[in-house]
Amino acid sequence: MSETVIRTEHLSKTFEKGKAQEVRALKSVSLDIQKGEVFGLLGPNGAGKTTLIRILVGLLTPTSGRAWVLDRDVVEDIDYIRPRVALLPQEAGIYERLTARENLIYYGGLYGIPDDALQERTDRLLDIVGLREKEDYQVRGFSGGMKRKVLVARALIIEPQIVFMDEPTTGIDTIGARVVRNMLKKISSEHKQTVILTTHDLHEVEELCNRVGILNDGNLAAVGKPSALEEEFKAANLEEVFTGLVTGEGVYD
Amino acid sequence: MISGSRQHRLDPKMVWLLRKEIKSVLRSRWLLVGFIISPLFAWMFQGAFLGFVYAQASVEPERIYITNEDAGIWGDYVYGNLSESMDTLLISELVDVTYEEGVEMTDNITVSVWIYIPAYFTEKLLSNTTSHISPLNITYNAASFRASSAATRLTNYISGIVNSLLIERLVNIQRNSVAPQANYGHQLAIFLVMLTSVLAPSPYVGQSFAGERERHTLEALLVVPMSRLRILFTKLVAGLLLTLIYSVFTVVGIVTYNLLVILRAQGAIGGEAAIAYYSVDLASVPLIVFCQLLVLLTAISIGVVISCIAKDQASAESINNLVLLVPTMVIGILGFTGSILQYGGLFGLAVLAIPFSHAVIFLNGVLVGNATAASLVVNVVYMLVFTIVFLIIGAKLFEREAIIV
Repeated sequence: MSETVIRTEHLSKTFEKGKAQEVRALKSVSLDIQKGEVFGLLGPNGAGKTTLIRILVGLLTPTSGRAWVLDRDVVEDIDYIRPRVALLPQEAGIYERLTARENLIYYGGLYGIPDDALQERTDRLLDIVGLREKEDYQVRGFSGGMKRKVLVARALIIEPQIVFMDEPTTGIDTIGARVVRNMLKKISSEHKQTVILTTHDLHEVEELCNRVGILNDGNLAAVGKPSALEEEFKAANLEEVFTGLVTGEGVYD
Repeated sequence: MISGSRQHRLDPKMVWLLRKEIKSVLRSRWLLVGFIISPLFAWMFQGAFLGFVYAQASVEPERIYITNEDAGIWGDYVYGNLSESMDTLLISELVDVTYEEGVEMTDNITVSVWIYIPAYFTEKLLSNTTSHISPLNITYNAASFRASSAATRLTNYISGIVNSLLIERLVNIQRNSVAPQANYGHQLAIFLVMLTSVLAPSPYVGQSFAGERERHTLEALLVVPMSRLRILFTKLVAGLLLTLIYSVFTVVGIVTYNLLVILRAQGAIGGEAAIAYYSVDLASVPLIVFCQLLVLLTAISIGVVISCIAKDQASAESINNLVLLVPTMVIGILGFTGSILQYGGLFGLAVLAIPFSHAVIFLNGVLVGNATAASLVVNVVYMLVFTIVFLIIGAKLFEREAIIV
């Protein structure tokens, strides 16, 4: 029996831009995500993906509607939620003057992970992302792709129940992206960790995601399994579904 | 269930954050330069500069040019005395020149000191008329410390040996001054503490707040299971610990400054008086450090507010420097040249509203010894209240959603 770990009901968020102007970033979004799912959150730039994720991790407060993570209200119970979720932001920065190892250890330390477990997890994750040999180098000398690998490892070091990954493979080379995708598959299938993934790579979505939600202009335009969406919208692939929903040009009746 | 005793222990997460903040700064060359080199350089430069000025004015001899056209005996008398007292007067060489050569050196501004004794020197000196024209001319290069000092020495000496020569027709005004301020060394301490401490935390605060936002590390930090207030508090503690490095090197700088002053002045004529005037009494160092910490704390609190509003680190540092530099210069210079409390009206109120004014008043009061305990407490309380208010504003700004949007 599936277990809902994220639920939103008519979630809306409006940003005030000056006195007269406001931007409605999310418009009444209702959504359920199950435990162990890799859920793809798709949408063009400015569709509201990052805003939705930020509300779910407690960085933003919804203007209206409600959201629950692990059965706890994100506004009232964020202290319960935070130790159990991890975030890899879209434009995540890294502490350049710390080494790769120190970045992981530091982040894990902020979650109160005991030192022994921290060292073991750091070793394992650095091995997986292929940075063990460079673990004692300050990150400022790393390429963009290497930094992104450190960030993916950093998000996973706390072994979260839910991990929000905003474009995790952006900037990583083909081999590195494959490593990250395999990691996400593994934590989802073996450890039943839930992954909320945003990406513009629709092939990655088709490979990884059990279900997808397509956001457009703050609205949740569609949600379901990729194959079900293709069938529903009579499209050859997910890209056609996405393009049709976002541009309004008919690939579906 | 967390027991009461555990609740009061220092949160290990705060220790992690603290360690990261300090490690990042210690690995940053420029921040380290700001915390260590800046106080050392400021004090060493002052010490070296003072030593240079002191040596120029009281140790190093100067070449003196002289033209004696006097037809009487007093010109030769002055000339002879100068020749015999060259060591005492720190004259390296007494060079005879013609009037034309003297004028040419003056026109070319190549003269150091030129004494011109005119042909009517004795005649004027011995006459009983009340002419206001000085019969002896000393021309010197005012841009040179050494020449200026030599001219002063020569004026005093010649006045002395020909007592009635220069002063019998002038009102003899004796000048007595009562300095309300501490000695030069302490005024310098106040000035440097103001100038350097106010600006010292700017790079750290800029990096720690606006820099985190600019480098996109803040978003991940704000989702960790720590309240934003704790994050802010930990960053402030890191800032204070780092400023301790600054304070330590300020003390090292003061000691170095004292050594430089002593090295130059010791053994010279009036050297002991110069050392007493120019050096910083080491017994006052704890007070200077206390005051410096207050200034640093206040500067950090202002920096946090600016850093939470600024778009990026560079803007935060620029705004911080602009906001703090002007009042700092005003206060520093006022504190150095005279008592801040002498200024009245709106300007006086504006000066007193600046928290750093109270650091100057506090230090002045303590170092001169004319302040009451109550007035000192008022100064400290004003700075603390100012700091707390700014920290509360900073905390409110740090809590906003806009900090990451």
